[in-house]
Amino acid sequence: MDLISSWLGNTPEFAVPFALAALGLIITEKSGVLALGAEGLMLVGAVCGIGAYLTFEQTAVALVMAMVAAGVVSLLFALMVLVMRINQVISGLVLVFFCQGLTTLTGTLMGWTNQPVPGLEAIALWPLSELPYVGRFFIQNVVVYLVPVIFLISVWALNRTTSGLRMRAVGENPQAADAAGIPVLGYRLAAIVIGSALIGLAGAFIAVLSTKLWISNMTAGRGWIAVALVIFARWSPWKALAGAILFGCIEALIPQLAASGIKLPQYFVFMAPYAITLGVMIWVAISKRDSSSQPGALGTPFIREERT
Amino acid sequence: MNRRYALEVRQQMAWYWQALIIAGSLILGLLVSGTILVVAGVPAGELLNEFVILTLFDAQSLQSVLFQASPLIMVGLAGCLAFRAKFWNLGLEGQMIFGAIGATAITMWDIGSPAIRLPLMMAAAMACGLLWAIAPVLLRLKLQVNEIVSTLMLNYIAINFLLHLMYGAWKDPKDAFPYSPKYESFELLPEFGDGLSMSIPIAIVIALVVLWFINISRAGLYLRFVDKSPQVARSVGVPVAKTILLAVLFSGALAGLAGLMVAAGQEGRLTHSFYVGYGFSGILIAFLARNNPIAATCAALLIATLFVAGRSLQVFYQIPFAMVQLIQAVLVICVASSDFFIRHRIRRVQGGE
Repeated sequence: MDLISSWLGNTPEFAVPFALAALGLIITEKSGVLALGAEGLMLVGAVCGIGAYLTFEQTAVALVMAMVAAGVVSLLFALMVLVMRINQVISGLVLVFFCQGLTTLTGTLMGWTNQPVPGLEAIALWPLSELPYVGRFFIQNVVVYLVPVIFLISVWALNRTTSGLRMRAVGENPQAADAAGIPVLGYRLAAIVIGSALIGLAGAFIAVLSTKLWISNMTAGRGWIAVALVIFARWSPWKALAGAILFGCIEALIPQLAASGIKLPQYFVFMAPYAITLGVMIWVAISKRDSSSQPGALGTPFIREERT
Repeated sequence: MNRRYALEVRQQMAWYWQALIIAGSLILGLLVSGTILVVAGVPAGELLNEFVILTLFDAQSLQSVLFQASPLIMVGLAGCLAFRAKFWNLGLEGQMIFGAIGATAITMWDIGSPAIRLPLMMAAAMACGLLWAIAPVLLRLKLQVNEIVSTLMLNYIAINFLLHLMYGAWKDPKDAFPYSPKYESFELLPEFGDGLSMSIPIAIVIALVVLWFINISRAGLYLRFVDKSPQVARSVGVPVAKTILLAVLFSGALAGLAGLMVAAGQEGRLTHSFYVGYGFSGILIAFLARNNPIAATCAALLIATLFVAGRSLQVFYQIPFAMVQLIQAVLVICVASSDFFIRHRIRRVQGGE
């Protein structure tokens, strides 16, 4: 079955942005900051990745600069939620709107729109790549192979290092963490910047390695799907990775269906990822899983002067 | 360690200081926006001319600002209503799209005689906007499904459905663009006086109705309970779920009406991208106005000025319309930050401890 083989082969390309964005969101949210800005930060990563590639012609430089750019833009979000103590929902939304405007403007004024870039060569993981059916799954670019490594490092850092545990303490109970001498705002700032850099990488992956060009608002709601993914995954990185692969499968199926000649109303097919996200959210709600894994202080600002 | 300054929570602040701080933050936001525009290639000397003089002191532009303001007032009021019920209705765009689709369905299928066609379109627009808001509010009330994600997902579904119609069954065969056939003259919002659209008085009447709903009606009283504390509201016997449902459905209906105002007021047909920028503006207008209908009407006028100026920037300097979105975001960041200075003060602490 050629169809299944190429479908499986395309899945990682679609799954990686979800996985990286969801991981970035989990890191930020573990510190107690409700992060809704993924859609915007992915766009920043995407436009900056393309811009950096067109300027320096080095894919690695493009990806790193995209991460840096998303980290820098997230400082604005940090300023809003940590210093100015603006409602975190509003701050996240404004960040998305700000980034949508900024990236469209930058892309257009710099002339980066619709400029193709070559992406990265796929590397075959021999002998896995020779397997029937699933072989193509193991012919991917190097960033795809890095994703499990990034996940391992992040999970280890969150669960096994002092900084990771302190960051989670800040997310569960900032008052207690503060009393224990942990700099709450410092840890939240670090969580926002690190998480946003990963989200920026997710955006750059879409633009530089997957679509291989920049179009304004090209992430088309993937950042919001990542937000939903974090809710289904109950803030667990491994479950988020599994969810990302599931969504990657669904997105990879769309071009496959078109290529196989099955006639479906095009725009209904485009609706599918959003409808499925909604469906999964409803299913998770009906199956009534406990919400205890949500960080205790998620969404509440830490205001030292008002501590009781 | 010798800390010289300490941050304190301020108990109260005189209203004129508050007004001054908010005005200052708006000016700061405008300065930042002006800088962005200059960086983007608008000659600095032309800025004032472009924005203030051409937009507000020219009768025709002033008309287009008022005209542009009416759908923005609708989405702004829709935002106010939903946010008062602590419901993050980010689905204004989807509800607007379905409102316009509902109104266009009436024109496509020629339902009703010409005399009652327009009222029928308005009813259809409100009903469709309302229907598109039902699912997320019920899901939130019954199953605690996060409405931020559900309403946004429904927006993407609505956008694709609109494209399906515009590139398919409802495409005007006489037009190369994905637009519906033009509305008949009796399907357009009429003009009165010197070229003012009917959508302006409609917007004002609706603003008054929302004002009555929030401040005078029983539901509005309940809504204030729910806004302050849903727990207390529930324990004193306020029908919390019904109040939230009512406010959100009202919000959806108003967003639907905004869709009709753009389709039957400005474009004269359904187009594939008529909704762009409205959903986001509605949320920001409601936030800037702190969910107050009168303030929302004023904020909508400000945003309408931006829309009109943004279109002329697009024409004269090829600056993408996204600039309007960026400027709105900058303004909101500045105004939201001003709240920090209203609620806190920095006090100098005597050193030497």
